[in-house]
Amino acid sequence: MSDTVLDKPVKTQKTRQRRVDPEIGVSLSWKTLKTQKQLIFMSVPIAIYLIIFNYAPIWGWVMAFQNYRPALSFGKQEWVGLQQFNFLFSDETFMMVLRNTVAMSFINLVLGTVTAIGLALLLNEIKVKFFKRIIQSISYLPHFLSWVIAAGIVATSLSIDDGIVNIILMKLHFIKEPIMWLSEGKYFWGIVGASNVWKEVGWGTIIYLAAITSIDPSLYEAASIDGAKRFQKMRYVTLPGIKATFVILLIMNIGHILDAGFELQYLLGNGLTVDWSQTIDIFVVKYGISMGNYSLATAAGIFKTIVSVILVFIANYIAKRLGEERLV
Amino acid sequence: MHKTAKRSARALAAGTFALALALTGCSSNNANNSAANVNSNTAKGGTTASPAANGDDNAPATFSVFLASPGQTPTEDNKILKLIKEKTGVSFKTELLVGDLQQKLGVMIAGGDYPDIMSGDDKLLNAKAYIPLEDLIEKYAPNLKKHYAAVWNQIKDETDGHIYVLPSYGVYQGKITEPTYQGPGFWLQKSVLEEMGYPTPKTLDEYFDIIAKYKEKHPDMIGFESLNFDWRVFPLQNAPEHLAGHPNDGGVIVDNNKAQIFADKDISKTYYKKLNEINAQGLMDKEAFVQNYDQYLAKIASGKVIGMFDQHWNFQDGETSLISQGKRENTYIGFPLLYPGAEEWYRDRGAVGTNRGLGISINAKDPVRIIKFLDQMITEDWQKTLQWGIKGEDYEVKEDGTFYRTPEERTNADQTSWQLANKITTMFGYMPKIQGTYSDGNAADAGTQPQEFFDSLKPSDQKILKAYNKKTWSEFFKEPKENNIYFPAYSIVLKDGSAAKLAQSKLNDLQIKYLPKAIMASPAEFDGVWQDYVDHIHKLDIKAYEDRINEGIQSRIKNWSVK
Amino acid sequence: MKAVTKSSGRIEPIVFHTINTIFMLFVVAITLYPFLHTLAVSLNDGSDTLAGGVYFWPRAWTLENYRAVFITGTIYHAAFISVSRTLLSTVLGVFLTTMLAYTLAQKQYIFRKKISMLFILTMYFNAGLIPNYFLIKELGLLHSFMVYILPSMVSAFNLIILRTYIRSLPGSLTESAKIDGAGEFRIFWKIIFPLCTPVLATVALFIAVGAWNSWFDTFLYASSDIKLSTLQYEMMKLLGSTMSTNNDPSALAGNQHNQMQALVTPASIRAAITIVTAVPILFVYPFLQKYFVVGLNLGSVKE
Repeated sequence: MSDTVLDKPVKTQKTRQRRVDPEIGVSLSWKTLKTQKQLIFMSVPIAIYLIIFNYAPIWGWVMAFQNYRPALSFGKQEWVGLQQFNFLFSDETFMMVLRNTVAMSFINLVLGTVTAIGLALLLNEIKVKFFKRIIQSISYLPHFLSWVIAAGIVATSLSIDDGIVNIILMKLHFIKEPIMWLSEGKYFWGIVGASNVWKEVGWGTIIYLAAITSIDPSLYEAASIDGAKRFQKMRYVTLPGIKATFVILLIMNIGHILDAGFELQYLLGNGLTVDWSQTIDIFVVKYGISMGNYSLATAAGIFKTIVSVILVFIANYIAKRLGEERLV
Repeated sequence: MHKTAKRSARALAAGTFALALALTGCSSNNANNSAANVNSNTAKGGTTASPAANGDDNAPATFSVFLASPGQTPTEDNKILKLIKEKTGVSFKTELLVGDLQQKLGVMIAGGDYPDIMSGDDKLLNAKAYIPLEDLIEKYAPNLKKHYAAVWNQIKDETDGHIYVLPSYGVYQGKITEPTYQGPGFWLQKSVLEEMGYPTPKTLDEYFDIIAKYKEKHPDMIGFESLNFDWRVFPLQNAPEHLAGHPNDGGVIVDNNKAQIFADKDISKTYYKKLNEINAQGLMDKEAFVQNYDQYLAKIASGKVIGMFDQHWNFQDGETSLISQGKRENTYIGFPLLYPGAEEWYRDRGAVGTNRGLGISINAKDPVRIIKFLDQMITEDWQKTLQWGIKGEDYEVKEDGTFYRTPEERTNADQTSWQLANKITTMFGYMPKIQGTYSDGNAADAGTQPQEFFDSLKPSDQKILKAYNKKTWSEFFKEPKENNIYFPAYSIVLKDGSAAKLAQSKLNDLQIKYLPKAIMASPAEFDGVWQDYVDHIHKLDIKAYEDRINEGIQSRIKNWSVK
Repeated sequence: MKAVTKSSGRIEPIVFHTINTIFMLFVVAITLYPFLHTLAVSLNDGSDTLAGGVYFWPRAWTLENYRAVFITGTIYHAAFISVSRTLLSTVLGVFLTTMLAYTLAQKQYIFRKKISMLFILTMYFNAGLIPNYFLIKELGLLHSFMVYILPSMVSAFNLIILRTYIRSLPGSLTESAKIDGAGEFRIFWKIIFPLCTPVLATVALFIAVGAWNSWFDTFLYASSDIKLSTLQYEMMKLLGSTMSTNNDPSALAGNQHNQMQALVTPASIRAAITIVTAVPILFVYPFLQKYFVVGLNLGSVKE
């Protein structure tokens, strides 16, 4: 905010220690440390805990530059430089796998967010609390099924023989012949997107519902007095009320663009759709872990991290420029 | 309202912390206990190391076991485990596989965190996680020595000649009885055969002719079924080698001790071209290559499938369902179809499952005790207990000494919950076992007992067997020839990360992708797709794969010929 | 003109609510179905299920599948561990995360950015299986209950959610307390924490469900100790592995069918254990739902 309120001029030598936070204007000094003693006690131990559990094992990343064999001690590992990365990027299917991953997570992100917000808005319009709670509690049930079971249900529903999807579409005369959903690559991303929505929409709604409840009711009253209709209230009160949550979730999820998952794709994919169903994670398990090549998995992990972090910071920067809520 | 919420939250918090304390307390207790266990174990190890001295082979001992297959652990009061503990003092702490085996192994190997006993695995072998067993067997395990005598050289590790894993399957004694055939074949539904006048198809043309004629009369039926799901790809991939008169060597055919892949050869092209034709005729199930295993079984269990190529055990659950629905006539009979001029080799003599069984880990505190225990278990008395169960409870004995089961005992044996309390199915799957017959002439287990088989036949089955003039289902296939010395080639280990392994894996991927494409293509496009497929195969390092298999074959010929 | 608006004003809610209700019924139908189906399968005879056609209602009733799940007896202790770890993780997690989120929401706090960054990055990297295993081993947490609690106490995601919420609270709420000389912890515990109820309920739900559903920590760190098994882990035993990496296709092409049969758990038993595992956690949400409305009281406090 006000970078004018520097409490003291920066002394030249120890600039690193005493760099002034441009936003707040508090410099790191004994005095600030002392006044913020309680805040430090409340946060630094947790940060140390975090470093131990999350950052300490990061030495494992060196495995990406080795041909790691778990049976050998660390000193005896063979160093291979960038060979693992080369294997990953030079495989002729890699671009395809990358495309599938990005496409499916993009679809998941957009569909997932839109449906979750939509359902939250509509649920919010239900005035009978009892029904609202019942519907909420039911809509998140599929979240608790494992993909093994859920994918089985998806596959059965899409079957050409007696799959419910084909039956309904035929009854409604949208199609004449049953469609073989799972044998055509062009449907695959859509099926994965729809399956994810079906399984996770109720779960995704929770956070938006919580955000909606924290909107000041007097805003709705004021809007009513101004003659706002239902949709205007959604547009001018509810949506702005959940915007911060939306933006934060969006920035965070952009970082997961290379995590399209593998279970669903693995279970629904088949030889005919393999060019559309294969994701980075499947690739890594297939040519990495299942062949005892743990290094490949690490290399892929590093690649994903770099992409994620870059994307998150770009998103965060854009949010900052637009004056929105942001991560950092 | 607010206050009460807060108060209850605090009460909850207090409760949880108390719980936390209790749990940490209890886990540290556990730690103490296990430390105590270790001590007592090593103490025991000291005594049992010289068993001749005190001869106490039945002192209590607990072995930790890891088995690489998922499943349920038996109940705590499992009848067989109880008996084992009572008679031998041995009890187990068994861990079954959860999640992904490769991840599990990676962590196990990296941490050197091995239990006493582990199922056989190539990665663990590579990591030198097992101890050599031949001296132990020599000294302490006369029964095991006798059991494996005929295959002694075959169970040695290819690389260093030690025995690390005691194979669980493929060691036969007495007579090999096989009333129900479990292997590969082209199957047809019994009701189809009956309606078509009990034909015996010998070629692909005859076989699909029957399917076409039957389907014409019953358009609701599914003509030919297949499966291309997960690792269950053999229904699609393995037929050509059998049609061409080769036994099941996995992804290769072997002529004159020389292995080559067949996925790109004419024997494959002919078969898939045929499937392409029948697909054009509408005989192939449209969903065959899209469905998962459950859906495949469901189709079999619905009784709507006329025929398929598969290994019997792979679709047996579907047949079990048919039988329980009272639709015995919808179960299947297999036929060994052949290309002109080929000699039949569908049935094979089971080969030793090298490296598949149990091994003792380098962390085992008392290997002697373990090998002695396994030695006890391979005696005929124990084998009968492990395979048939307990006399009078799980099976009965006729006056002439023949074992049989009452209908109730048979139903029991099929129930999962009963099995958990009365059998140790998963563990026994990995233990050394007698196959064939016992010295008293009874079959090793109920499944291979001829009497059991005849008792289970229903009039409809007897009728169809009579029509074909056969006594058992396996008689539809020729008696197996003597195995080639190296058989089976599929058990030759391809080292992780090797070019051979990579080529095999990529070849499998190509088959999964292109075979359905070729079959579903219009007949005019078939040759184009096939060419594309073959071109892709030829881009792989197939030579590395074939070379490795051939190396394995040569090494087996050299080492296994010696008796 | 006026009349039109008036009548449309009366009709619009009816039309809207009708459409909305129909839509909600649709949502309920498709999200309830998988659960009902799983329940039906779990109560249906295994072989019978295979033949297909079991949708909402069991055709051949049996409790055999549940008997198979419960008979081993391990499930009771696993349930106890699951409940314990869920409760403890939730209470600790909610408290610590909120406290940290509070400090990170203070604009003047000197380490605010550094700590935030430290946490945010954790969302996007993973050191990998084996290094994590070594860490837990070095810390002496292998085969101990605390391995379920410690490594995942504070998640970056929940932290950000809470921080965003706390930031949105009007600053005036704490001003008077600050003037009175109250310490940060006191302000956090007495003023901020109670104000966060709706979002705390959300975060509590996330942590609870996460703790309940996790099985990978058991897999990695406590698998050989049956006393530390959780419900979810028991379920994973029966669901088997998704990936084929467990099975070398060429080896299985052979006649090792006897071994193979043990690999397949009937769908009906998978369904039964799924129900057993899911039902307890399903009650958490309805319980927490009442706190979702407490936020409405906030309005009166706000400026």
